[in-house]
Amino acid sequence: MPEFITNPNLALLLFCAAFAAPLLTTVIGTWRPALTGIVAIVTTAACLAIVGISYVAELSSINVPWSETLGLRFHLELDGLAQMYALLATGIGLLVVIYASRYIPLHLEHHHRGLDEQPRFFGFLLLFMAAMVGLVMAGDAILQFVFWDLTAIASFYLIGFDRDREDSRTSALMALLVTGISAVLVLIGVLMLRSELGTYSIPEMITLESGGTNVGIALGLIGIGALAKSAQVPFHFWLPNAMTAPTPVSAYLHSAAMVAAGVFMIGRYYPMIASFDWLLDAMLVIGFLSIAVGGVISLTRDTLKQILAWSTISQYGYVVVMFGLGNEYGLTGATFYVLAHALVKSALFLTAGAVTEATGATEMSETGGLARRMPVLALGSGLAAAGLIALPLTIGFFKDELFFAAAWERGPAFGALAVLSAALTFAYVSRFWIGVFLGPVRIEPRSISWFLTGPVLVLGVSTVIFGLWTAPVIGIAESAATLPANGPAQIEIAYHLDARHENVMAIATWALGILLVVSERWWSPAARAVASLGDRVGPERLYNRTLKGLEYVSDWIHRVEVRDLRSRVATILAPAGILVGLAVIFTPNSDAFEIGNFDRGDLPVAMMLLVTALAAIAVSIPRDHLRIVITVSCVGFSLSVIYSLLGAPDVALVAVLVETMLGVFFICMLLLMPRSILRFETREPSERFGIRRDIVLAVITGATAFFVVWGVLSRPSPSTELIDRYEELTPLAHGRDVVTVILADFRGFDTMGEITVIALVMLGVMSLIRKGRLR
Amino acid sequence: MTTEMTRTTCRILLLPILMISVGVLVKGYADIGDGFSAGVIASLGIILQGVAFGAEEFDRLPLVRYAPLATFAGLFLALAVAFLPVVSGDPIFLHHPVAGDSATHFGALEFITPVLFDIGVFLIVIGFCVGSIGAVARETVRRERDRGAQAETRRGSPGAPAERGDRR
Repeated sequence: MPEFITNPNLALLLFCAAFAAPLLTTVIGTWRPALTGIVAIVTTAACLAIVGISYVAELSSINVPWSETLGLRFHLELDGLAQMYALLATGIGLLVVIYASRYIPLHLEHHHRGLDEQPRFFGFLLLFMAAMVGLVMAGDAILQFVFWDLTAIASFYLIGFDRDREDSRTSALMALLVTGISAVLVLIGVLMLRSELGTYSIPEMITLESGGTNVGIALGLIGIGALAKSAQVPFHFWLPNAMTAPTPVSAYLHSAAMVAAGVFMIGRYYPMIASFDWLLDAMLVIGFLSIAVGGVISLTRDTLKQILAWSTISQYGYVVVMFGLGNEYGLTGATFYVLAHALVKSALFLTAGAVTEATGATEMSETGGLARRMPVLALGSGLAAAGLIALPLTIGFFKDELFFAAAWERGPAFGALAVLSAALTFAYVSRFWIGVFLGPVRIEPRSISWFLTGPVLVLGVSTVIFGLWTAPVIGIAESAATLPANGPAQIEIAYHLDARHENVMAIATWALGILLVVSERWWSPAARAVASLGDRVGPERLYNRTLKGLEYVSDWIHRVEVRDLRSRVATILAPAGILVGLAVIFTPNSDAFEIGNFDRGDLPVAMMLLVTALAAIAVSIPRDHLRIVITVSCVGFSLSVIYSLLGAPDVALVAVLVETMLGVFFICMLLLMPRSILRFETREPSERFGIRRDIVLAVITGATAFFVVWGVLSRPSPSTELIDRYEELTPLAHGRDVVTVILADFRGFDTMGEITVIALVMLGVMSLIRKGRLR
Repeated sequence: MTTEMTRTTCRILLLPILMISVGVLVKGYADIGDGFSAGVIASLGIILQGVAFGAEEFDRLPLVRYAPLATFAGLFLALAVAFLPVVSGDPIFLHHPVAGDSATHFGALEFITPVLFDIGVFLIVIGFCVGSIGAVARETVRRERDRGAQAETRRGSPGAPAERGDRR
């Protein structure tokens, strides 16, 4: 068997499979909409299988140059960190796709939309997965940035999938703006790193000595982009708004993928970040702030998905804090935390979707008592919730154990903060699960498909399985943590029945958490006050204000510009005239503005110039449109005479032809204008203000153009070398006419651009006059 | 309406004008003129028919009907000449025969790829000029017909509001 079958390059294979998935799904889905879900499931499963195989195969990578002069390489490497995030993207992705294959048809049906929109949804969902897979494998910073932006674009279409709803569109735009603008900071950071360290290759950067301030600033910029993507304070507000997306999108993007991309980025650059203490301290502050803000606001929300969204902000705060703590427990803890959190949080999101599907309720106060009616769902999400609040025998217990260990190592104060944070988590997760599944039954649920409850059960049960059989998860997290740690990383976790710090802190957390749950009546007014304070002065308000202000400015400019044709011309001429005029004034010009000699041979040219000038003045006299057109043609024709007098027959020929054609075009345009308007414009005198403004503008632009041309012509031409060279080369190019050879050969690329513009204008004319039909 | 004299002259002129434009095109590499000038000359010849025979007749000419498509045919031809060398690893706009090789002759005519590129330019220009004027011609014919139909309805049922009013 050939080598690429027995020993395939898994990195390349995964990349191709991941990008084939959205393509296949869209193409086959458009052909047969009923097959969309199945194709999506099969292709995602294939990607997951490749990731799985990569754990038993050796490290695979591909590294080829694709733009050598710019130093760009197509470098993918399926290392431990990439494997873990790819596993999340494809594994959670598979469950979400299975769930969505049943959910999306129902969703479309509820909104009275056709099933033929399915390929659009799955196409973008899988494109997101592919971008995520590419992002985590990319070893070249620019390549990484491309995938980084691709995730933002795909998420825009996913969040805005219900495009008929306004809140959905504004949320999609908000997510795109917040993550897209911060992505520009990432690009700036990457370019700064390149100029400091001389490479785009991330593994190479890490091996270099890098302690300069500029490197720190560059990493800070990348960090801001990463934190915005992970919905950390103060960029967090896009995430709760993004909950307008269909539930599978929330479960995928907002638990396992999009927000995880941010902390992935921190992990990728961590060996460099670690040498800057101020970056680590900033991460600690932002992380704890996010935990507090997310946790407190989550406690006040009533909408199921909002509770989970705010809780995600808080949970990723944990990860950022652990990166900020930066000790051995912190690094391994951070990667482990992402893994555990993705597992349980996506289960909770899917639960929210299933509950809404069964009862029609989106608010927690409308539901309740579902444990007896939907025991399977209650079990699955109960196990997941237990994982999130770190009860023993679940994988979640260890994520908190590592968190506590990392915090305690820093000092008792951090330990106390950690316990408070975990207690907050305990409170809002319990509130969610108790509110949905216990208490009186408010709405009788319909029975729902196994496709909706199955993934939740799978995720919930695996929370417990991996809590008991920890070896595989630890292996994954360890191999992932070697990259941020830039060396071997080891996690030693087990259940200990003694009074070590971690255990004491865990027990304190549960006690505090239970206290918080039972005392809801006392603290809820305070929490509500915090939430409403956030609404009033939070960053979301700043975002809305900025957007409104920009819209206002843009509207104002638009109104000024398009008031009438004259103001439109003025907005082009006035800035051009003023700017060029300033340039003329500030250019050193000792030898410029000379008046040259005038001999008798120049007489014909001078006379024709006079004719041209007179024709140009004459344009302003007639009021009848046809006469204006003919006078304008006069200017052009007399100019072409000047070209031929100066010995440029090619230019003269083109000028005559173009002038004739323009005349025909102008007359045709007049044919299309309503007669009444033409007649009105001919008779009605313009306003006085308009005339004065037009004269000022004409003088400014005319004078500027005059001085520029004068200045250029009085300088001796820099060199005729280029022209000589062209003339010399023309016979070699099998030509005798230099102008044509320049157009079609030497400067052919310019001509290509120009004729492409003609073709585009053609399309424009056709869409304006014939609504786009070409024949 | 134009006189019979004008119409006959214009019809007779069409072929010579097209001949001249093709001449300007193929001799462009050795003499004044290129694909652009040739395109405009041919367009003016075709548009002259519109001036003589009126918009309705003009719109019916096959040369006018297919002009917009010619734009894109020309664009593809030019793109092909420009970028096909990339396939064999050569720089863009590598023309054949390359410098030093001798070209195949047909009389005084040389077969070289820059002329193909110029033909692309020629098609684009012709498509643009004739196509846009053709679009305007058809639009004026349509409006005339609308106005006629409107007058018809008004005459048919006095006092009834016009169904398709003037758009502006």
